[in-house]
Amino acid sequence: MNVQEYIESGIIESYVMGLASESERAEFERLCSEYPELVAARRKFEESLEGYASENAVTPPPEVKVKVLEAIGNTPSRKPASSIPPKITTMQVQKEQPVNEPASTPVLLRLVAAASVLLLVGMAYLYYQTKQENKDLADTNDRLKVSLDTTRNVLQHILDEQKDVVSNPNVTVVNMVGTQVAPKSSANIYWDSTSSNVYLVVKNMPKLPSDQQYQLWALIDSKPKDLGVFDATDQKMILKMKNTQKAQAFAITIEQKGGSPSPTLQKMQSIGKTLQSQ
Amino acid sequence: MGIPTTYTEQELVLALKERNNQAFGFLYDNYAGALYSIIKQIITDNSELANDVLQEVFINIWRKIETYDQTKGRLFTWMLNIARNASIDTLRSKSYQNSQKNQELPDNVYKGVANQTILQNVDNIGLKKVLEKLRPEHRVLVELAYFKGFTHEEIAEMMSIPLGTVKTRIRNALLQLREYLK
Repeated sequence: MNVQEYIESGIIESYVMGLASESERAEFERLCSEYPELVAARRKFEESLEGYASENAVTPPPEVKVKVLEAIGNTPSRKPASSIPPKITTMQVQKEQPVNEPASTPVLLRLVAAASVLLLVGMAYLYYQTKQENKDLADTNDRLKVSLDTTRNVLQHILDEQKDVVSNPNVTVVNMVGTQVAPKSSANIYWDSTSSNVYLVVKNMPKLPSDQQYQLWALIDSKPKDLGVFDATDQKMILKMKNTQKAQAFAITIEQKGGSPSPTLQKMQSIGKTLQSQ
Repeated sequence: MGIPTTYTEQELVLALKERNNQAFGFLYDNYAGALYSIIKQIITDNSELANDVLQEVFINIWRKIETYDQTKGRLFTWMLNIARNASIDTLRSKSYQNSQKNQELPDNVYKGVANQTILQNVDNIGLKKVLEKLRPEHRVLVELAYFKGFTHEEIAEMMSIPLGTVKTRIRNALLQLREYLK
């Protein structure tokens, strides 16, 4: 490469005055390490620029110096102790300086350092917190997804069962209503008179203590027939109960867990009459 | 105070990197005027702001002296660029822009800046005085690039001239500048 041509391209002035682009800067610095004449030309321009700037200096107001020295933690009026004569500073003296003058540690610098550390800690905390929140959200998402899948399966199950039961023309629906003891209790019986299958759909049955269960009865000629037990937790599910061919009415009572041989009628929760009762 | 303390540039840099307050005082006394001049050439209309920038510049020099790399240029060059950048940043800061708002608002902001730059010819100090010797079409480009801090691309757009031309003209202008500074 022709170094002279490169020098005369104006790159040196561009570089020194901070007008070169990033890639021009990088190239110039690389070439400087290869061509000493480039460095010499750069120095020459730097010196003339510096010389011109010094000749054209504008004296700033004195209070700026006071403020600057205060900011870096120096006392502007500080004078050397009289026993030490002023002298040309050498490297040795500079090295001793921090030991001799612990009071001159730059306060601003320390403040800035402290502030930086605080900022860093703060940012690290924020980062950690955000990360944690993200993780929590992801976990919640996973849980919700599992829950959704389960619910979907249950719903599908219900729909499948309902399709069988509801679409069958032989099925009669018996609407069970609450009694005085439990006015809000309600359930539906789907009773297939040909197959004798009995399905129970709980609409609203209060939750029971763990030692008790609901029991479904068919009333045939005023005599109760056990059709099985169920829990209130089975809500929204279609339950297949025991079969019966005859029933003038269905009734639900509360019994000990496992059921009773005969119903406790005081605790009858709901009752529904069938067409056979008429 | 007797014999004044003096340093070679090498010694000064070493002393500053060792956080020597005395060396810093020397640095201020010897360079504040030259740096203040460049700041005032960029922030032309607000002395108080220029003072603030000078203060900020010296605090930054003290803080960042560790990052100064002698292989890349002289200490003064490094400081001059800190001063120039700080001044341009201030010029572009929101608070400064707001303080200028009551002045004219040209339709084309770029054209406005360019015209203003051409017209602005009074009270030139320092480098700007040398710029006067350049041809106007060269001078305006150096003004925009060096004193206003626009990139070559921005200048090409605002002056409606090709990027290559901007680059060549600035390079040529700087070469002329070099001759004047000798």
